[in-house]
Amino acid sequence: MMNRTTWGVFMILCWLVGCQRPYQFAGTLLPVPQPAPDIALESVNGPVSLRDFAGQYTFVYFGYRFCPDVCPVTMGKLKQVKADLGNRGNEMAVVMITVDPERDTPEALAEYMAYFDDSFVGLSGDPEAIDAVGKPFGLHYHQHQGSAASGYLIDHTARFFLLDREGNMILSYAHETPLDDLLRDVRHLIETQ
Amino acid sequence: MKRYLLFVVLLVGLLVQAACSNSESKAAPITVENVRANMTMPTDTGSFWMLITNNSDTDDALLGAAVDGCGVIELHDMVMENDVMVMRPVAGGKIPIPAGQTVELKPGGLHVMCMQKAAPLALGTKVKIELEFANAGTITVEGEVVEPAMSSGGMNNN
Repeated sequence: MMNRTTWGVFMILCWLVGCQRPYQFAGTLLPVPQPAPDIALESVNGPVSLRDFAGQYTFVYFGYRFCPDVCPVTMGKLKQVKADLGNRGNEMAVVMITVDPERDTPEALAEYMAYFDDSFVGLSGDPEAIDAVGKPFGLHYHQHQGSAASGYLIDHTARFFLLDREGNMILSYAHETPLDDLLRDVRHLIETQ
Repeated sequence: MKRYLLFVVLLVGLLVQAACSNSESKAAPITVENVRANMTMPTDTGSFWMLITNNSDTDDALLGAAVDGCGVIELHDMVMENDVMVMRPVAGGKIPIPAGQTVELKPGGLHVMCMQKAAPLALGTKVKIELEFANAGTITVEGEVVEPAMSSGGMNNN
């Protein structure tokens, strides 16, 4: 049996050599980081690829403006994460890629994203280009008939993703992930990586 | 004359008291609480959430709603299926409110969907919504415009 002094020395040594538990991310960590596709989509300021956000931790979300709550709730949480990061908020970016390019023009998306934060970027483009960008993220979306008023509705992946500073997908998050957990993960990455 | 006046005053008092005690002991068949309106965004859509309680012994159903500034209103449901958000108009065009139960309309679930929104509304604005029930008829309640991320009542409860 170790006496108290031996136990204390052991704990200090343990701490010094890094026996602490590794950080537990709230998101799902990818076993191997996946490079984001270098495919240009259309922003209000011209063509933009996800690789253009290298240097920042970038949240990528696939949604559409007609979506009444899942999309705005996610954008609202990310807005708050950025605000809570304070003067390090500029180390985080948010990109929403539309799954409804027919209605979501780059101009309409820019207005929508600016509602949340001036730095948030909305991307539209050809469906083929959106599909190609979405493929490595496992994007699923499906348009189905709505009413005369809605025209059509779109089922879509609600999970969202985080790219590291090198533009690699490293984490994915369920829609329900609480704001505090998102903030804790991003803060950890910004402060330790 | 004084006796007559006293009698009238007592009678009126008794009637008022009876009316008051009656309204206190018997709840309205349908009560609607915690009405929140997600109407701030610069889009054509918005949504309303609330708690609807059926205090009666008879099943009821929400059939529709009307809000000034919403061209069309539909009742929708939303579910998550393997991380995919699936939204559909509710089956049969109505939301059942079973007798003695409370049904919650909430983000990521049942909601009153506003389409052809005339204009975004400012945070904190009070909005009247007219709800049409199969049995209880039309009930008008007031909701408050909230931040989209706060619409579930707390940022961590989404």
